[in-house]
Amino acid sequence: MTAAREVGNLFFERIKARDLVGALALVNPETKVNLVPLGIEGSETGVLANYFERLQTAFPDLRLKVRRIFAGSDGMVVAEISIEGTQAEDFYGIVNQEKLMDLDQVWLMHVDGEKIDQIRAYWCQNRLYRRLGVKRLDHVTITA
Amino acid sequence: MGTATKLTAVEVVNAFFDAYRAHDVEGMVELCSDNADFHYMPVELWTRQRVIRGDGKVRTIGKPLWTTLIDSFPDLTNHITYLTSDAEGNVATEVMISGTQARAFGTIGNMGMHYDLPHVFLFKVGEDDLIEEITAYWDTADWYRQLGRLEVD
Repeated sequence: MTAAREVGNLFFERIKARDLVGALALVNPETKVNLVPLGIEGSETGVLANYFERLQTAFPDLRLKVRRIFAGSDGMVVAEISIEGTQAEDFYGIVNQEKLMDLDQVWLMHVDGEKIDQIRAYWCQNRLYRRLGVKRLDHVTITA
Repeated sequence: MGTATKLTAVEVVNAFFDAYRAHDVEGMVELCSDNADFHYMPVELWTRQRVIRGDGKVRTIGKPLWTTLIDSFPDLTNHITYLTSDAEGNVATEVMISGTQARAFGTIGNMGMHYDLPHVFLFKVGEDDLIEEITAYWDTADWYRQLGRLEVD
């Protein structure tokens, strides 16, 4: 499953290089996306594009590191990544307080041939809230 | 569900979750090597002096954490929804973990609430069929909401 792992690596290399168009070129247009902590699900690359556009806008100095990646025998790429950046814009309701965040994530991406056709991503949204100064889960937009 | 190329690694991981479901913490630990690494990525408790992380060894961090969790959620159970593996002993699972709170767990006071929380567990299984590393991800915000806790700590 080296080919699948290479597709996964290339996807994140392009995200790291802010080449969103190039990254999305590796994704089937009807890919199933589930960003679990955000409760966002969809069957189009627009869901993914929207997430990364908002992430890169909110954290203009975004840094991404792939910590570990492997591919299962069924073509599922499992990637542990870390992202880090300083907030400059609101992000999914989290008011900008110019705080630094670092977040560990795991992405499960199924590769069929040369394209990614399933994505499920997990991380701890509580950690993100803590880093960005959110005090209560029922008032994410209120910071004090 | 994916198919395994290294059946023993998948069998070991299935046995681990079987033991977890049976609340057999000793059995869970016995499936791990003596020095197995443990990383519960979301665990981060902030105290005045230091930050306590869910990072260390299965025997010193994992075992007491599992024991305490089972004590606080006596009906704790798990259901594997997806599993994949490679030929190098890497196994990834998506697991739904569920339980009803009966006692306080750390800073989470007991409100008697039930939770169903999606997790990802990653395992590295060695050639001796022992788990050498466990890494887990979940969203604590989702967990807190389900348990009735709304403060971000």
